[in-house]
Amino acid sequence: MSVALQVSDVRAQYGDLEILKGVDLEVPFGEVHVLMGPNGSGKSTLCHVLMGKDEYEATGSALVGGTEVMGLPVDERARLGLFEAFQYPVEVPGVSLDDLIDEMGEVRDDAGFAARVESASDLLDMARFRERAVNGGLSGGEKKRSEMFQMAISQPKVAILDEIDSGLDIDAVREVAHLVEELRSDDLGVLIITHYSRILRYMKPDKIHVMVAGKVVKTGGPEIAAELEASGYVEMQAGEATLAAPEVATPFDV
Amino acid sequence: MKTLDAQGSAAVGVSDPSWLAGRRKTALDYYEKLDMPSSIEEVWRYVELGFSIDDYVLAEGPGEAHEIGAGIAAALANNAGSVAMVDGHTVSADTGTSAAVFGTLSSLLVESPDLLEGYLGTLIDPDLDKFSAAHHAFSGEGVALVVPAGAAVIEPFFIDVQAATSGTVSFPRITLVAEKSSQASVVIRYRSDDDVDALVVPHLELFAADNSNLNVTVVQHWGAGTRSISHARAVVGRDANVHLGEAGLGGSMSRLQLTVDLEGNGSSANIVGAYFGDAAQTMDYRYTMHHAGVNTNSDMFLKGAVQDEALSVFTGMIRIDEEAQKTNAYQTNRNLILSDGASAQSVPNLEILANDVKCGHGSTMGPLDEEQHYYLMSRGLDEERTNRLLVHGFFNEALAKFPEPVVADVVTSWIDTKYRTAQEAGRV
Repeated sequence: MSVALQVSDVRAQYGDLEILKGVDLEVPFGEVHVLMGPNGSGKSTLCHVLMGKDEYEATGSALVGGTEVMGLPVDERARLGLFEAFQYPVEVPGVSLDDLIDEMGEVRDDAGFAARVESASDLLDMARFRERAVNGGLSGGEKKRSEMFQMAISQPKVAILDEIDSGLDIDAVREVAHLVEELRSDDLGVLIITHYSRILRYMKPDKIHVMVAGKVVKTGGPEIAAELEASGYVEMQAGEATLAAPEVATPFDV
Repeated sequence: MKTLDAQGSAAVGVSDPSWLAGRRKTALDYYEKLDMPSSIEEVWRYVELGFSIDDYVLAEGPGEAHEIGAGIAAALANNAGSVAMVDGHTVSADTGTSAAVFGTLSSLLVESPDLLEGYLGTLIDPDLDKFSAAHHAFSGEGVALVVPAGAAVIEPFFIDVQAATSGTVSFPRITLVAEKSSQASVVIRYRSDDDVDALVVPHLELFAADNSNLNVTVVQHWGAGTRSISHARAVVGRDANVHLGEAGLGGSMSRLQLTVDLEGNGSSANIVGAYFGDAAQTMDYRYTMHHAGVNTNSDMFLKGAVQDEALSVFTGMIRIDEEAQKTNAYQTNRNLILSDGASAQSVPNLEILANDVKCGHGSTMGPLDEEQHYYLMSRGLDEERTNRLLVHGFFNEALAKFPEPVVADVVTSWIDTKYRTAQEAGRV
């Protein structure tokens, strides 16, 4: 199976602070991967760097469905098939979700868009949110559901779900996990970024990558989660213990 | 041409009822004594007028009237009555068939000379400034509405005020009265072509008697060469509500000084504004919300944007009297600065003498929000489209609170066009 996302030697800094120190990562089409790591390890930075947020200076290569996206503006990356579900989706006052959907449809040469909006709207029970402002007054779970809805209608090649389970109660985590499984397809590679392993109780990722101090230090099957539960992130990379130490006490905050 | 002097004032007031003639005479004295305002005065701070009122003369008759634009015409196809004025002269009047008295001052002062004595010209003092004095001394025409007690008129009344002749000054006077337990909605539109160098000095007086609801929508769309210096004042009775939406789009200089007096216990006011300046426009809003009654509520919510070298000013004062306990008062002014050369002033003030009140004010100023921008672009929207959607959303938040949604929709499309035009010209 060909590769949805191929990340090679991605480095990034914020001001003088080097955050990503050469990230390599691969997500094949049809698979769901999880990127785990302690706070400050660079998970969310990787997400923003791949999407093209301009506050970082970044180098390296990221292929989305075989096309290089590094150096491109954010919107072009999105139209090439990269989707970011935000950890904290920002409220856009005065702009309804339907306004946004209309614009998303207009920038895509995509005959199936309108039909997909309606079917995803039904599937995710989004009708009552569509006339409201984007993310306006939504609960944490509703915001994540709106992100999943926008992901479904965008039909990306790669979806990066940044801390998709953060700030959610356990029922909402379960729902999000089910939605990810629901949207799993042979034309999509999913990378779930998470701090906690609890979402793994409700879904079956194909691979888990562990990031510590700006690098992917380990990649393996779902069994890695159990390993993390036993030992925490510290064991993953000697020498980064100081950074990772605070996470040992509560790697699983369920 | 009549000039702004004793002779001009006498000519304009030739058929005044005696009560009005007396007021006109008093105002003329003030006009002759007062100087043009200066930015040294607090209420004129930040703004340089750069002209004198007597640079302009009174128009002998109306210049050529424009048809109502398609958008507004469609929005107001069902109205309860309409009047169109050009250069301070009535060009058409349809008094409608509603329960209310609606028409031009020139007609109403002849038909029922005493009807307006307790209202017309009583709210805005002639000694407020030279413009106000001039208005009282030289205003020759206007529109009045008196909604009788208990009557509810659902369709809006429409007042179309145009300037068409360069070099002229006009003083449109609009007096709206909602008697006890009545209800009405009025839409006022100000407009001129870009090449009309005229001065317009409107007075808008709102009387909302006990338990009434008075909705007013003002759409200011003067051409680029027109100046307007307007005063408005509302007095709100017990359990009555005034809902005023003001959209400011045009004019080289446009100013609105508004005072709302919440006199009756339980009275309330919703004041919403949306203004968008470009080129070298100055938009100047001076609002005062005066809580006098107990248990009164007010909300001022204004959103403004400036681009190119435009300047906007908002000063908001919430004044709560010692007796006005259980008051809720809020003011919000949010500003978008879309070009480096544009600027905005936002000055919220509170003066609270009562001790049992809830009061809040907020003021923000800045460019488009970066996080919102990034979020929308991550959905595949290009830069221009993203900015347009954000500007649209910014104003939509205010326009959604306007009293007449169909008019607000038309204003939204004008604002969208104004921004898109600037984008296409590479100005933003």
